Amino acid sequence: MRIEYVWLIPLPPLLSFFIIWLFTNRSKTLSHTVAIVSMAISWVLSVITFLFALTIEHFGQEVFELSVPWLPTGDTALNMGVLVDPLTAAMLFFVPLTCLLIFIYSVGYQNYGKQLDPHDAVGSPPHNGVEPMYSRFFAFLSLFAFGMLLLVVADNLLLLFVGWEIMGLCSYLLIGFWYGRNYADPNQITPRQAAVKAFMTTRVGDVAMMLGIVYLYFQTGTLSFREILYNEEVLLQLAETPSYLAGLSVAGLVGLLLFAGAVGKSAQFPLHVWLPDAMEGPTPVSAMIHAATMVSAGVYAMVRMFPLLSAGWHHGGELTAPMMAMGFIGSFTALFAATIAVAQKDVKKVLAYSTISQLGYMIAALGIGAYVAAAFHLITHAFFKALLFLGSGSVIHGVEHGMHHAPGAHEHLDPQDMFNMGGLRRKMPVTFWTFLIGGFALAGFPFITAGFWSKDEILADAFASQQIVFWVLVLSALLTAFYTMRQISLTFLGEPRTHSAEHASETTWTMTTPLVILAFFALFAGFVGVPESFPGLGEFLHNLGNFNRFHEFVGGTLLEHPEAVEFNIFPLVASIVASLGGLTLGWLVYGLNPLKQGQADPLAAPLGPIYTLLERKYFFDELYDYVFVRPAKWISEVLTYRIMDKIIIDGFLHGVARAAVVVGNFFKDELEKKTIDNPPIYLANAIQWVGKSFRVIQTGRVQNYLLIGMLVVLAFSGVYYLMLAGVLK
Amino acid sequence: MVPLSWYLILAAALFCIGLYGVLARRNAIAVLMGVELMMNAVIINLVAFWRYIQPTLINGQVFAVVVFAVAAAEASVGLALIISIYRRRNSVVAEDMNLLKW
Amino acid sequence: MSFVLDHLVSLVVFTPLVGMVAVGLVPNGQKQALRWTAFLASLVPAGLSIALWFNYANSGGGFQFEEQAVWYQAINASYHVGVDGLAAPMILLTGLLTPLAILASFSIEDRIKPYMMLFLMLETGMFGVFAALDLMIFFLFYEIGLVPMYFLINQWGGKDRRYASFKFFVYTMAGSLGLLLSIQLIGLSSGTFDIVQLMNLWPSFKSELLPGVVSIDTIKTVAFFAFCLAFSIKIPLWPFHTWLPDAHTEAPTAGSMILAGVLLKLGAFGFLRLVLPLFPEQAHLYSPVLATLAVLAIVLGAFAAYGQSDFKRLVAYSSINHMGFVVLGIAVAAWAAGTSSEAYRESAAIAGTGAVLQMFNHGLSSAAMFFLVGVVYERVHTRDLNEIGGGIWQYAPVYGGILVFSAMSSLGLPGLNGFVSEFAVTRGAWPVFTAITAISMLGLLFTGAYILKAIQKVLHGPKNPKWAGHMPDMSTREIVAVAPLMALMLLIGVWPWWLADVINEAVKRLIG
Repeated sequence: MRIEYVWLIPLPPLLSFFIIWLFTNRSKTLSHTVAIVSMAISWVLSVITFLFALTIEHFGQEVFELSVPWLPTGDTALNMGVLVDPLTAAMLFFVPLTCLLIFIYSVGYQNYGKQLDPHDAVGSPPHNGVEPMYSRFFAFLSLFAFGMLLLVVADNLLLLFVGWEIMGLCSYLLIGFWYGRNYADPNQITPRQAAVKAFMTTRVGDVAMMLGIVYLYFQTGTLSFREILYNEEVLLQLAETPSYLAGLSVAGLVGLLLFAGAVGKSAQFPLHVWLPDAMEGPTPVSAMIHAATMVSAGVYAMVRMFPLLSAGWHHGGELTAPMMAMGFIGSFTALFAATIAVAQKDVKKVLAYSTISQLGYMIAALGIGAYVAAAFHLITHAFFKALLFLGSGSVIHGVEHGMHHAPGAHEHLDPQDMFNMGGLRRKMPVTFWTFLIGGFALAGFPFITAGFWSKDEILADAFASQQIVFWVLVLSALLTAFYTMRQISLTFLGEPRTHSAEHASETTWTMTTPLVILAFFALFAGFVGVPESFPGLGEFLHNLGNFNRFHEFVGGTLLEHPEAVEFNIFPLVASIVASLGGLTLGWLVYGLNPLKQGQADPLAAPLGPIYTLLERKYFFDELYDYVFVRPAKWISEVLTYRIMDKIIIDGFLHGVARAAVVVGNFFKDELEKKTIDNPPIYLANAIQWVGKSFRVIQTGRVQNYLLIGMLVVLAFSGVYYLMLAGVLK
Repeated sequence: MVPLSWYLILAAALFCIGLYGVLARRNAIAVLMGVELMMNAVIINLVAFWRYIQPTLINGQVFAVVVFAVAAAEASVGLALIISIYRRRNSVVAEDMNLLKW
Repeated sequence: MSFVLDHLVSLVVFTPLVGMVAVGLVPNGQKQALRWTAFLASLVPAGLSIALWFNYANSGGGFQFEEQAVWYQAINASYHVGVDGLAAPMILLTGLLTPLAILASFSIEDRIKPYMMLFLMLETGMFGVFAALDLMIFFLFYEIGLVPMYFLINQWGGKDRRYASFKFFVYTMAGSLGLLLSIQLIGLSSGTFDIVQLMNLWPSFKSELLPGVVSIDTIKTVAFFAFCLAFSIKIPLWPFHTWLPDAHTEAPTAGSMILAGVLLKLGAFGFLRLVLPLFPEQAHLYSPVLATLAVLAIVLGAFAAYGQSDFKRLVAYSSINHMGFVVLGIAVAAWAAGTSSEAYRESAAIAGTGAVLQMFNHGLSSAAMFFLVGVVYERVHTRDLNEIGGGIWQYAPVYGGILVFSAMSSLGLPGLNGFVSEFAVTRGAWPVFTAITAISMLGLLFTGAYILKAIQKVLHGPKNPKWAGHMPDMSTREIVAVAPLMALMLLIGVWPWWLADVINEAVKRLIG
């Protein structure tokens, strides 16, 4: 078993981070070369691992593992190590690939090759020159890639958490990459504020997750995936032992706590508020972190922990508490976010809400027990969402290019606002066609896109188990297709609405090549997951060297292979209707008569206040500000520091001090001065008086001294004589 | 021989005269002279006692010579002191040398 | 060589005094000579403490490098020193931090000689407490550590230095009074002051000091609470913590580094060395209270830190927040030490290891943070976050990178040292004090808030024209002063075994 190198997979990007930070910071070329080469090394190792894993029969039973003791715990030790099972192998297929493509994309995005513009301020986005903090960007990207790969190959929950948090750090650093950027409107969130928002919102989930990890560790004595999740007895025990909260088993409570972490990381309701503001970061960041990898980490963690979350559940039986939570929150979020996406103006914000919505799909799929479907959608979504984000970055770049190169006065407009675009299909053809493919994949265009197959499988599973989830997801699919077409129409169709759009041009090859590669996957990656029971195509692919073995392969991760759902025409039809219907509706509203310059959104007037509600994201940001942020500030600044510490505690201490001073003064004045000090003073005065009286003898004259001496001698002689004579005794 | 007491009375008288000189004279050099007188009285006393008690032993003579030497040394030192004082203050009045007064 | 090895602990404890004398001999006006003499003098105990660490054999616990000499025979107190798995990391930490703090003090211009001499004297005090195995020796060195710190704050401190130094000194000394009383009670009752003997003797000791007047149980209870009070003030534990923000804020940079880095640990060390072994039953009964106070320290410390507008005071409150985790771990160990039930023994060992590890880690991260605060202060002469106004990163990218790194360690980011200890404490405390652990997560949440607030208000924002020309990046000396801390933060975060194993053996012995 060539497992020795698996732990090497996350290392090259980590080394790249240190090398760039410490050594190659000044050279842009060296920095991106180090980053891309290291990512490529990781990618190659991952591909080798993946291909090797594919060749092994029943891979789920004979995995690659390696671990070492890390922290001593009494008489035992907590181990850290790596694990490659079928799920890991599937993740290793797409994660390094997308990361690598995004690294390459970033070279062009950060304007490599252009000169450093002296008007560009460090810490703000460059206007037309190369990004001043170019190397730093690649350093952070590398660190992030390390975190994600660490999470993927981790063999225990703690190491997963480590990778999870490192990605959180990089997300913070990269969202706030342009830390010096300010906006004219004080209500618009700046990148540095968005970074804090992202970090803190996900941290709420993270602390809950930590409690879950700790609880699980205590209950089972280990955190290793193989020992907990691939172990019938342990899972049964966890499902049957009651926890601290009445009605929940240990598995249930731990599952809910871990799910809380995923809610934060994958931006599900109610912790979804950070993701749209995370769009303040550079677009490659949005693509990598907030589409393909970090947000998927939440879903991946849930997929990984599925045996625990579903402990005690049997197919067709009652859902466990975590599953119910996931089903509810996932499907609710899917619909909720889709409705908001319909009313957004910013091209990246639409994609952000779309991501939230699609993640909701995956969570909902897990909630109803569709393990393989969730994993499948995770992978296809990564491809087409990354594609869409990178495409949007390309569009923004093109519009900015037009902004700077339009003859006459430069317009000052938001290059991300779709209402400032239009007609870009002729100006940026490669971007257009790849974006179209990505958009259709997102909408689930039947048969030829990957998104169709993964979404269809979720719908099929939902139809077979929980009907309500099914209908909610179908409605979301309809809206998804609608807003996708809206986005495509506004951006690419019709005529350019502004001068900048007029003069936009296609971006460099480093940006368009990744788009093409991702588009390829967006089209063809779906075929690995075509169900075998699908009429015609399923059997055809099966005979073609078992091409569509995704279900069988990934399903092998679990102890019990999940059953593939029987083919049913109804969800298929519903899926096709929702997809094509939504696309057509979108085209009818936005594409048939493309908007002219200055024209408002045709949806605004008929929907009225509902449109505002959607556009302002149901005012959740404002709500959270009033309910959480302001009270927290008050508690911190006023209650804890000023009132509790300074007034109450210090006030008490100062009171004690003052009392001590009063007592001390009393002793000093009354007792000490009057009573105790006096006798020594009197004695001293007396001695002084005696001295003053006697000093008259000291005249300084020798003769006087001699006289006195003689008199004393005489006196003594007289006394002596008298003693000798017997008169005195 | 003349009785011993005559020499003793002589020495006592000289001593007292010298003592008077030391205690009551104004001039510092006169004070020194008085001191010399007192020394000489002592020497007379010593010699008388020697001659009348143990004339054969040399101790008395030696003692007297030692006292001579001491007197001489003391006179020279005393005079040196007075001269240095005179050089400072242009006066040898004993009463005025009272710098060590309290 | 064998002399060195035989007397390693005494050498470690007293070489700073020799260094102090050496500095005293350097003529007053020679600033560079004074600084470098002090620095080189502090490298000697540093090297010796590293040698101690590498020669420490980690098998089964117990005291190593023991030395005993006659000292005060009349009351049966001897000069007894030695190290075990709890003391060795602390000695290593002290030996490491002092040279770095002295290096950070190179920017002091005023009366360098007394400053450096006081610093070295302080170092002896700190080493002595960790190495002491006799109660009188312990107390002696404990108090020795106070006086130089008072003068350092009082003479070289900030605006409110008189108030802050006075408060620090008197408050801590008030606690020490109880400590002295208890030590006397124990010593006179049992007839010995030797800690090693008392560990075996005292918990089951029953003979009375004043029969009929005061029972042994009363003595034990009084002694226990007096010990707890003294150490709670030192740690500091909520609500005895209010001296810390003032003292840390007004102290000079290096003073804060040592105060937060080592002096706070004296209190926690006292708990582990004295309270738990000598009073296991009382500690067991009192542990829920201790845990409650710990979580209050964690949560309220985090909130208060978030509410600060003074950079240094923010970091000071972060110390209260981090030390809360230490006390939580100690509370769990206290709970287990007093019972013979096997139920949560493993958790207690993990929590105890986490607590001592957190002591070490906090020493590193808070020293780094205070140093970085000092770096900024020397350039912009203000600590007020609003006055600084941000926009510093553009001027000083190296400083920014180092600040973010150290801040992440303070925040407990996995991959760096803070996380390992906080995770261990959480894991250990969960089964024993479940609700309390859950509440402490609120503190962990706000830890993120205040760290990010500090980073944002100092570094982020458009390039601040106010500081143009005033904000040179970090000099080589400054980078050298903080680099070893950063290297250790990363090393312990990635590979904590070398440190945690030593601690684990000692903790296991502690809880029986």
